[in-house]
Amino acid sequence: MITIRHLKKEYANATPLKDVNVEIHKGDVISVIGPSGTGKSTLIRCINLLETPTSGEIFVDGECITDKKCNINKVRQKMGMVFQSFNLFNHMNVIENIMAAPMDLLKKSKQEAYDYGIELLRTVGLADKAFNYPDQLSGGQKQRVAIVRALAMEPEIILLDEPTSALDPTMVGEVQAVIRDLARKGLTLMIVTHEMRFAREIANRVFYMDEGGVYEDGTPEEIFDNPKKEKTIRFIKHLKVFEHLITSKDFDFIGFNTDLEEFGRRNQVAPKTIYRAQSVFEELAVQCVLPKLDKDFKLNVAFEYSQEEETLFMTLKYDGDTFDVRNTPNVISFAIAENASESIEYAEIDEDGFKNLVTVKIK
Amino acid sequence: MTIEKTLNGTELTVVVSGKLDTTTAPELEDSLKESFEGITRLVLNFENLSYLSSAGLRVLLTSQKVMNKQGEMVIQNVNETINEIFEVTGFVDVLTIE
Repeated sequence: MITIRHLKKEYANATPLKDVNVEIHKGDVISVIGPSGTGKSTLIRCINLLETPTSGEIFVDGECITDKKCNINKVRQKMGMVFQSFNLFNHMNVIENIMAAPMDLLKKSKQEAYDYGIELLRTVGLADKAFNYPDQLSGGQKQRVAIVRALAMEPEIILLDEPTSALDPTMVGEVQAVIRDLARKGLTLMIVTHEMRFAREIANRVFYMDEGGVYEDGTPEEIFDNPKKEKTIRFIKHLKVFEHLITSKDFDFIGFNTDLEEFGRRNQVAPKTIYRAQSVFEELAVQCVLPKLDKDFKLNVAFEYSQEEETLFMTLKYDGDTFDVRNTPNVISFAIAENASESIEYAEIDEDGFKNLVTVKIK
Repeated sequence: MTIEKTLNGTELTVVVSGKLDTTTAPELEDSLKESFEGITRLVLNFENLSYLSSAGLRVLLTSQKVMNKQGEMVIQNVNETINEIFEVTGFVDVLTIE
């Protein structure tokens, strides 16, 4: 239904989308999740050309909509858009808001547009508000009207950009119920949302966005229960991360330890755990791994703390020859590190030039 | 890390406070090296030592070897965390911990 190839969106000082490649099938209900600033809204705004992509192609039903010759208005008729801030016309009442586009663009008669508008309003429980003005409605009611307005155009897909994030918490449920109903009816939906429970329950596919694209794409079970990629895992498990790339043997050891202590304080990690983390870092990374690395090297250190599980993991990734730190001749350092750890695991990897991965669960 | 030294005859007491790690161990090593001469008893007071790494242990081992030839070395007021390091590395058998 929609094919996106090498989509890039660049602004003067940011590139939220670097290279997006995805297929959206008819009937898909896709939740788009990810940290702030990862291009989730930009992606759906590019799909209906509210933002002009810098490069790349978007095909809708085989038609390349990024082609300059394409009739944008015609394409937009296939896509409904629901915004975070409703975007209703305040000088029109509810039914007028709903009737305007079908009359203008689909050339429906006033009666047809009215009848269908009322029918749709009934499905979202707002038929009695047809002649009210937007400022007479609550946030939840406004958003339900905005959804009806999108539906009135009989679109093939509805793009929802954080449809509940501007709502009072008491009104989130009523809007979610309407969206859930659309999904049940088999409409193709793409929803940017920060509400993970909703994202999981409503979708058949989840896009986790990061690093300028759809970083991981899977079923809700795959993304929420068994994410495969590092950043998805961090996001799903609410991991707090402290990461540092070391490229010189004269790196700022004191600064590193100070930052690690600050990370611990900020995330309420027990001081004893941070003490052990410093000990494991010094013994394994500084005493065992660093002396083994060549002059030009890279050693990535990451601490990941789960506040829910109160667990702290340290991962070391380094280049150079294969070196299982558990076989270090430095038995004293290893003994100290082992004493401060629940487990020390090693794996050979081939990832961004890194060859070795050590994963330590701090005691 | 701070180092405070008190000489009483041929007995040198060194109070080491703070962190004895990769960056501070060389400082303690240099400080002890310049004071070994004529000493028959070296007392290391670790009452305020909050962190000890293998880099610090190596300095203790070197000092122990020097003092074995000219007298004795004892470590005092070791807290639980530091003592754990001595135990897991087997240093409890090499050092005299009071």
